[in-house]
Amino acid sequence: MEFYFGLAQTIGIHTLLGLSAYIILLTGQMSLAQAAFYAIGAYVSGMLTVLWGWHIVPAMFAGAALGAAAAAAVGFPALRVKGLMLVIATLAFGEGVRLFFFNFDYQVQKGNIKVGPLGGEGFRQIRYFPENGWTSDEVMLFVWVFVILVMAMIWWFDRSRYGSVLRAVGDDELAAQSVGINLTAVKVSAMAIGGAVAGLAGSLYAHYTTHIEHLAFGVLQSVFAIAYPIIGGLASVFGTLAAVIFVQGFLVEGLRFLGDWRNLLFGLLIIVAMVVRPNGFLDGQMLRNFKRWFGIRSRNA
Amino acid sequence: MFDFIQAVLDGILFGTIYSLIGIGFTLVFGVMHKINMAYAAASIGAAYIGLVSASAMKAASAWVVFGCSLVAGGVLGFLVYLICFHLIPLRNENATLMSTVGMLLLADELISHATTGAPQNYPATLEDVMFRFGEMSMRGDLVVVFGVSVVCTAALLLLLYRTRLGLATRAVAQQPIAAQLCGMRVAQVNTLTFVITGVLGGIAGALICSAVGSLSILLTGPLTVKGLIVTVIGGLGSVPGAIVAGLLVGGLENVFQHFRGVTERDMYVMLLLFAFLIFRPGGIFAKGQGRD
Repeated sequence: MEFYFGLAQTIGIHTLLGLSAYIILLTGQMSLAQAAFYAIGAYVSGMLTVLWGWHIVPAMFAGAALGAAAAAAVGFPALRVKGLMLVIATLAFGEGVRLFFFNFDYQVQKGNIKVGPLGGEGFRQIRYFPENGWTSDEVMLFVWVFVILVMAMIWWFDRSRYGSVLRAVGDDELAAQSVGINLTAVKVSAMAIGGAVAGLAGSLYAHYTTHIEHLAFGVLQSVFAIAYPIIGGLASVFGTLAAVIFVQGFLVEGLRFLGDWRNLLFGLLIIVAMVVRPNGFLDGQMLRNFKRWFGIRSRNA
Repeated sequence: MFDFIQAVLDGILFGTIYSLIGIGFTLVFGVMHKINMAYAAASIGAAYIGLVSASAMKAASAWVVFGCSLVAGGVLGFLVYLICFHLIPLRNENATLMSTVGMLLLADELISHATTGAPQNYPATLEDVMFRFGEMSMRGDLVVVFGVSVVCTAALLLLLYRTRLGLATRAVAQQPIAAQLCGMRVAQVNTLTFVITGVLGGIAGALICSAVGSLSILLTGPLTVKGLIVTVIGGLGSVPGAIVAGLLVGGLENVFQHFRGVTERDMYVMLLLFAFLIFRPGGIFAKGQGRD
């Protein structure tokens, strides 16, 4: 049973990570710095609970706030120039943040051991859950409360004016600008929300694994983050969830018997998915099909 | 002081490799307005295929390896075009970018599988040769790297500015629709651009491996990031920009390493990129405020 709780926690955390990229992708931007915001959330919240004894919830919000601030800071200069420039700027920013944590030491004595981030060794002993006697099913529930809250928030965005604005910018920047939408404000706010969600995911990740190190926040993690919504499709948040369950549940856990060959499959899967369904699994047409099959009336049908 | 000048000199010699990789990124961007994320990984892959095929031919000379890598690079460039750009609708930005990222991961994993993750010895061009000028010295193989890169760049510039193919490439880069209306086969030009950049990449991959002395999977990540940084600093789509930016990044990187050590070096390179994004977003040779 422990195994399934662990898997559910991983799926939850990766869903948050995927959703953080989803909201940025809605504006037609691609960010390869999600792992950096994830790392910021992980380190900040970990340091707050371990070194200064904060409660986990405010520590998570602090991590999310710093993730959002970092995302806005990287988005603002990069977004003045066009789309593909952001890919490169965020890729470089992500590597920069990873290298920062690779060089980052801040340790204090606690009891008879030293705790805190220690450069390449990473940050050990983030033991908030065990110290406070949380069992793994409680941790899983805690993670999924946040997943459901964030999914509900983004689902609601999609039905609000703000969501329409995001999609308008993503569909055609020029048209959006000519009806008076402030492109920079929309893109930077989407980046900030994405950064906050990634920071939240990072905070949960740090406390779930109890040991974080810079290698966990490399480019590959950012690629995973954007791969989920792109493979899953941008028509609905459930596409991202489906992609995470497919990748983490089936590809990573289900195919464990394949050993090393599994890693080859991931790259191949992305290429095949893009060739077969360039708009992702759950695109507009597929979403309408699902609604018809399950008899859900679309509001604008 | 001499140490400092020495560091700059070594950096600039090594920077020519960044220039080559940057040119590859920037040419594809110029012609298709796409980023081929798999480029650096494919280049290292080409260098590996070159190494394997040269040893299969029982010819371990560095120049044979270079020749094989060059051919392999061209073939891989064509394959990347075919899989990531020909089969996917080009106006779908996310899908084409994502498929090249998938290709990057696939190439990475294939190399690490083939080498079982261990670094492979790569033949050096000039072993243990040092050129000395008073206090200064230059590693012989870095001079070869510099020389080969300069020759490749010159050949590329000749191709771009003195041949019909080059004219077609520049025309497609400037106005794809107009070029098509004039009767050019845009898809063919795109394919050839990928093959040419692939050849350049094969050479760059072999050069970097012989300069480092070994071929390892750890090279692809930094090379991708540095190549993209060079492309942005030089201005997306600008070949002269990529050349100058490659030398600049190579030189400054060694300066940072000289003062702050190897672990912090790349952080400052990223800061350099951000300085450019804020103050000169169009790159070194941008005319005025270059926002496209």
